Amino acid sequence: MSALDAQRRVRIERLERVWTERPGVFGWLTTTDHKRIGILYFFTALAFFAAGGIESLLMRTQLIGPDQRLLSPEAYNEVFTMHGITMIFLFVIPMTTGAFGNYLLPLMIGARDMAFPRMNALSYWIYVASGLFLYTGLALGHAPDAGWFNYVPLAGRQFSPGAGIDFYCLGIIFNSIASTLSAANFIVTMFKLRAPGMSLNRMPLFCYAFLAVSFALVFALPPLTVATGLLELDRRLGFSFYEITRGGEPLLWQHLFWIFGHPEVYIIILPAFGIATSIIPTFAHRKMVAFPLVALAEILVAFLGFGVWVHHMFATGLPTVTTIYFAAASLIIVIPSGIQLFAWITTIVTGTPDFKTPLLYIIGFIVLFIIGGLSGVMFAAIPFDQQTTDTYFVVAHFHFVIFGAAVFPILGGIFYWFPKVTGRMYHERAGQLSFWLTFIGTMTTFFPMHIVGLLGMPRRQYTYEPGLGWSALNLIETLGAYVLAAGLLVMLGNLVISFRRGAPAGNDPWHGDTLEWSTTSPPPPYNYAVIPTVSSPYAMWDTEDREADQRRLAEGRLTLERGHETPATTTLDAELDAILDMPSDSPWPILLAAAVAVVFVMLLLGHLTTAIVFAGLALAVLAAWQWDEPETRESIS
Amino acid sequence: MSETVAPGRARRTLPNGVWGMLIFVLTEGTLFGSLLGTYFYLRFNSPQWPPDGIEAPSVALPLALTGALVLSAVPVVLAALAAHRGRRGAAMALVSAALVVQGGYLAWQIVSFLHDLDSFSPSATAYGSIYFTLLAADHLHVALGILFSLWVVVRLAVGLNPYRLVTVQAVALYWVVVALLTVLVTLTQVSPS
Amino acid sequence: MLRRILPLRSHAVRSGRLAGVLLVGSLALGGCGQQDMLDPVSRPAREIATLWWWMLGVAGVVLGGALALLAIGWLRREHPGLPLVGGSERLSRGLVIVFGILIPLVVNIAVFVTANFVVAKTTDAPDPRTTAMTIRVVGHQWWWEIRYPGSTTVTANEIHIPAATRVNIVATTADVIHSFWVPQLNRKIDMIPGQTNRVLLEADRPGRYRGQCAEFCGLQHAHMAMYVDADTPQRFKAWLHDEATPRQAPATASARDGERLFEANACASCHQIRGTSAHGQIGPDLTHVGSRATLAALTIPNRPAELERWIRDPQHVKPGNRMPALGLSDAQFRKIATYLEGLK
Ligand code: HEA
Ligand code: HEA
Ligand code: HEC
Ligand code: CUA
Ligand SMILES: [Cu+2]
Repeated sequence: MSALDAQRRVRIERLERVWTERPGVFGWLTTTDHKRIGILYFFTALAFFAAGGIESLLMRTQLIGPDQRLLSPEAYNEVFTMHGITMIFLFVIPMTTGAFGNYLLPLMIGARDMAFPRMNALSYWIYVASGLFLYTGLALGHAPDAGWFNYVPLAGRQFSPGAGIDFYCLGIIFNSIASTLSAANFIVTMFKLRAPGMSLNRMPLFCYAFLAVSFALVFALPPLTVATGLLELDRRLGFSFYEITRGGEPLLWQHLFWIFGHPEVYIIILPAFGIATSIIPTFAHRKMVAFPLVALAEILVAFLGFGVWVHHMFATGLPTVTTIYFAAASLIIVIPSGIQLFAWITTIVTGTPDFKTPLLYIIGFIVLFIIGGLSGVMFAAIPFDQQTTDTYFVVAHFHFVIFGAAVFPILGGIFYWFPKVTGRMYHERAGQLSFWLTFIGTMTTFFPMHIVGLLGMPRRQYTYEPGLGWSALNLIETLGAYVLAAGLLVMLGNLVISFRRGAPAGNDPWHGDTLEWSTTSPPPPYNYAVIPTVSSPYAMWDTEDREADQRRLAEGRLTLERGHETPATTTLDAELDAILDMPSDSPWPILLAAAVAVVFVMLLLGHLTTAIVFAGLALAVLAAWQWDEPETRESIS
Repeated sequence: MSETVAPGRARRTLPNGVWGMLIFVLTEGTLFGSLLGTYFYLRFNSPQWPPDGIEAPSVALPLALTGALVLSAVPVVLAALAAHRGRRGAAMALVSAALVVQGGYLAWQIVSFLHDLDSFSPSATAYGSIYFTLLAADHLHVALGILFSLWVVVRLAVGLNPYRLVTVQAVALYWVVVALLTVLVTLTQVSPS
Repeated sequence: MLRRILPLRSHAVRSGRLAGVLLVGSLALGGCGQQDMLDPVSRPAREIATLWWWMLGVAGVVLGGALALLAIGWLRREHPGLPLVGGSERLSRGLVIVFGILIPLVVNIAVFVTANFVVAKTTDAPDPRTTAMTIRVVGHQWWWEIRYPGSTTVTANEIHIPAATRVNIVATTADVIHSFWVPQLNRKIDMIPGQTNRVLLEADRPGRYRGQCAEFCGLQHAHMAMYVDADTPQRFKAWLHDEATPRQAPATASARDGERLFEANACASCHQIRGTSAHGQIGPDLTHVGSRATLAALTIPNRPAELERWIRDPQHVKPGNRMPALGLSDAQFRKIATYLEGLK
C-alpha cells in the first residue's frame, strides 16, 4: 500500500517539475496554462463588467427622472454605446468562452491543456489589447456613439466625422480575431483531446454548448468583420458601399450586422445553457432528463440562429414575404429552447434538489429566461414588433435574456466552481443573500421597462419629458439597478473574503458529475496525474472508473510524465490515437499581440506604411513562434 | 505540436495543425461568402451593373490567370504527399515550382489591378468599391499563401520532422481553398460580361 | 377584437387597460397616455393592442405553468420523482416533449397565423386606392417636414389629418435613418435614405396624438417628437386652406422690422416663409409658425418668451441641433420673435 503511494508521489513530483511554469509576473505574461489564462480572462472580463455596469448606472441615474442633466446628450450616447459594446464584446463572450471555457473545458474532457496552448495565450492578449483600444477611445473623448449596432448613414463619415466610429470598427475587428482564435481552439480541443473513452455521446452537455458556440463564432464573426471593414473603407478611403448617392445601400449594413448579430445573442446564451446543465444534475442529484434531446437542441439553437436576422429589421419596409419567412424562423427557434428549458425543469422537479446558491441562480435564470424568451417570441408577431421595436420593450426583452439568462448562470457558475478554482468554500448564507438581491434587483430594473415601452418610450434617448406616464416607472427601474449593483457587490465581497478565509473545499464538495471534480482544488498545472478514462457523461459518478484511475497512477499507465504530454483520441469514439507534445510557456503570444495592436493603432491614425511595417513584424514574430518547436519525445502508450 | 503515433498503428485522425487550418479556412470561406453576398446585394439593388461609363470586365484573361493559380495548387498538394512519405527534396521542389507560378500570377494581377484603378475609381460607385475590394481581398490571400509557401521551403531546407510535415499539409489545404475562393471571386467578377 | 368579443365602451377599455397594467405589476400613475400603444385610437393600433393582451395572457399561462412545476420541485425537494410520473425516464422525457415541443408548436402556429396574416392585414402599408389622402413626411435631424401633395402647404412637427379617414403616409429621410411612429394610431415605419416607405395613419376621433422618432438618429434623437392633430373634416379643410396661403403680412412696425431682419440675415438661407424672399430649405418652413403648439419638434412650447429664447440661443435649448446661434442684438431678436409670433 505505502509502496504504491510512494510510486504515485514520485510520478506526481515528476509531473510537477515538468509542468510548473516560471514564477512571478513574467510567468503570467508568458503562460500557456489554460487555467491561468482562464483566470486572466476572468479578472479582465470582470473589470470590463464593472466598467459596463458603471456605465449602466450612469444611464439609469440620468433617467431617474425627466429632464435630468447628469449627462450631456453626447455623453449619454457614448455611454450607452460603450455599455453595449463592453458588455457584449468585452464582458460576456470573454467571460464565458475565455474564462469558463478555458478553465473548465480541458478539465471536463480530461485533457491537460488546450489543443493550441500558445494560440490560447494569443487570444487572451489580443482580447486585452482590443479592450484597451476601445477604452482608449473613450479616454481620449472619441468613444463610438452610434449605438452598438452602429447603423449607417449615422455612422458614416458625413454624420460622424470624429474618430469614435473608427475606434468601433477597428476595435471590433481586432476583438473578433481573439474570439475566432478561441473558437478554433475549442473546436480542435473538443474534437481531438477528449479523454480515452469519452466518445462524442459521452461528452458533457457543457462541452456541447461550447462546441455549438465555437462553431457559431466561426461563422458569425466574418460578416461582422466585413461589415465593419467596408464601413472603414467608406469612412477612410471614400468608398461607397453604404452611400446611397453613389449606388451604395444603407440596408446592406443592417443585413451584414444582424447576420452576425443574431447568432451572437445565442453565442451569448449558449455557454450559460452549458453552465446550467452542469449545475442542475449536481444539485438535483440526478442525471439530466432527455440528454440526447438537449445536446441536439444546443446544436440546433446555434444553427437556427443564423436564419432569423431579419427580425431585427421588421420596421424597415422589407417585402412581406421576407418578413413572414423570418418571423416563422424566429418561432421555430423556440422549440429547441423549450426542450432545454423543460429538460432542466423536469430534472430539478424529478430529482431531490438542494437549493444551494448555484442552484438558486439557475432557478433565477430559468424564470428570467422564460420571461425574456416569451417577450422575444412576441416579436415574431410582426405587427407587434413593428409597434414595439426600438422601444424599452426591446430593452426589457434583451436584458431579461442577457442579464437574466446569460449572466445569472455565470454568477451561479462562479459560486459553483469557486471551490474548485480556489480550494475554498464561499459563504452560503451570504451567497443566498446576494442571489435574492440580484434577482429582485433584476426584476425591478428590467420588468417595468416592458411597461414603459408599451407606454411609448423609445430607447436610446438621453432624457424624456414629464407627463407621459414614464417617470414613476423609470424611477423604479433606477432604484432596482442600485439594488442589483448592491447584490453584485455582496457577491464580490463574499468571494473576496472566502478566498482568504473560506473553509477548505476538498476535491469534490458538491459530489459533482463531471471530471473536473476528480482532481485537486485548485487543480495542478498538469490537471490530472493520470489521464482519466470515461464510460459515461457523468464521469464522476462512475466510481469504478475513478478507482481505476488511481490504480493506473500507481502503475504508471497513461500518466504521460515524460514531458508536456497529453493524449489525442479519435474524433467520434475517443480511442487513444497519439500522444501529443504540448508547447510550454512562451513569450511569442504576447509579443505577437503587441505587434498586432500597433498595427491597429497605426490604422486608426492613418499611418498606413507604419501599419504595414508592423504587420511585417507580426509575421516575423509568427515565424519565430513557429520556429520554436516543442521537443519531440519518444512515444508511450 | 508534434504528434507521435502510438507505436504499431497509423494515426487515425488529422493532426491538430491541419484541424486548425481547416477552421481557419472555414472563417475565410465565410469572409468571402459575406463579400460575395455584398457584391450581389449591391448588384441587385442597382439599375445598371456595371454603371454607365465603366466597361464590363474582360473575361478571358482573368479566367486564364485563375486557371494557372488553380493548377499551381496541385504541386503544393503533391508536396504534402511527398513530405508525408519523407521525401523532403521532392516536396521542396514541388513547392518551389508552385511558388514560381504563384509569384507570376500575383505580379500579373497587381499590374492589372493598378491598370483598372486608372480606368475607374473605387470610390465613385458602389460597383467600383466592391470590385476592387473583392480583388484586393483575394490578392491578399494569395500573397499570404506565397509567404506560407516560402516558409515551407525555408523550413524544409532545415530538415523534415513531424511539425514541418503538418506545416506542409496545412499550407496545402490553404492553397486548395484559396484556389477555390479565387475561382468564385473571378466568376463573380466576370459575371456581368 | 377584444372589443368585438366583449362589447366594452372606450372608458371601460381604458379601465380594463389600467387593471391590466396593474396586473403586470406597474405603478404607472398619472400617465396621460398621449404616446401609449395600449390606448389605441385606430383600428390597426387597436388590433395590435388586442394581439398584445392575448399574447400576454398566453405568456402568463406558460410562465405560470413553469413556475408551478418549479414550486412542486421545491415542495417535494426531499422526494425523488413526480406524482404520476415517478422516477420514470420515459415519462420525464415525455414531459419535456409535451411542454417543450408540442405546446409551443401549437401556440406558435396560432400566434403566427393571427399576427402575421390577420392583424398584419390591417396594419400594413395601405393600398393607395383605399386611402383618402397622402401626406409626405420627411425626417430631418431632428425635426419632421410635412408636405401635403396637391397643396402648397408645408409645415413641421405637426401633422393635421381629418379624423376617421385613412391617410397614406409617405415616409422618407433627408439625412440619416429615422422612424416615424405614432403609437396610438399605428405601428412605426423606418425612414431610410434612398427608400420610400409608406404607412397607414388613421384616427377614429379628433384629438391630439403624440409621436416620436424611434430610430436612434444622433444627438437629439430624444427631442424629435411630433403631434398628429386629428380634426373634423371641415376644420381640417379650413386648416389646410389657411396653411396653403402665404404668410400673413406683418401688422406692426416692429414686426415689419422683424421680417426685414429675417430676410436680411442668415435665417432666410435656412428657412422659408412663403410670401417673403426667404426660401431656405434647411430648417422648417416658418410661414405659419405662430400657429404651431410647440417649437423644435416638441422641445419647448410655442410661447413668446420661449420663441425668443430659442432664436437667441437654440444650442442651449436643444444642444447640438442644426440651427446655429446668430449674433444679433437683443432688440433685433425681439423684433424677429414678434414677427414670427404673428405668423399665424
Ligand atoms: C441572450 C440573448 C438573447 C436570446 C436568448 C434571445 C432570444 C430570442 N429573441 Fe432576442 N434579442 C436579444 C438577445 C437575445 N434574444 C438582443 C440583445 C436583442 C436586441 C438587439 C438590439 O436591438 O440592440 C434582441 C432582439 C430581438 C428581436 C428584435 C426586436 C426588435 O428590435 O424589434 C426579436 C424579434 O423577433 C427577438 C426574438 C427572440 C426570440 C424569438 C428568441 C428566442 O430564442 C426565445 C426562445 C425562448 C423561449 C420562448 C422561452 C422558453 C420556452 C418556453 C417556455 C416554451 C414555451 C414557449 C411558448 C409556448 C412560446 N429578439
Ligand atoms: C451582456 C450584456 C448586457 C448586460 C449584462 C447589461 C446590463 C445592464 N444594462 Fe444594458 N444594454 C446592453 C447589454 C447589457 N446590459 C446592450 C447591448 C444595450 C443596447 C445598447 C445600444 O442601444 O446600443 C443595453 C442598453 C441598456 C439600456 C438602454 C439605454 C438606452 O436605450 O438609452 C439600459 C437602461 O437602463 C441598460 C441598463 C443596464 C443595467 C442597469 C444593467 C445591469 O444589469 C448592470 C449591473 C452590473 C453592475 C452594476 C456592475 C457591478 C460589477 C461588479 C460589482 C464587479 C466589480 C468588480 C470589480 C470592481 C473588479 N442597458
Ligand atoms: C443653418 C441653418 C439655420 C439658420 C441660419 C437658422 N435656422 Fe432656424 N432652424 C434650423 C433648423 C435645422 C431648425 C430645426 C431645429 C430642430 O428642431 O432640431 C430650426 C428651427 C427654427 C424654429 C422652430 C421651428 C419649429 O416649428 O419648430 C424657428 C422659429 C427658427 N428656426 C427661427 C430661426 C430664426 C429666426 C433664424 C435667424 C435668426 C434662424 N432660425 C436661423 C436651421 C436654421
Ligand atoms: Cu430621428 Cu431618432
Ligand atoms: Cu435576433
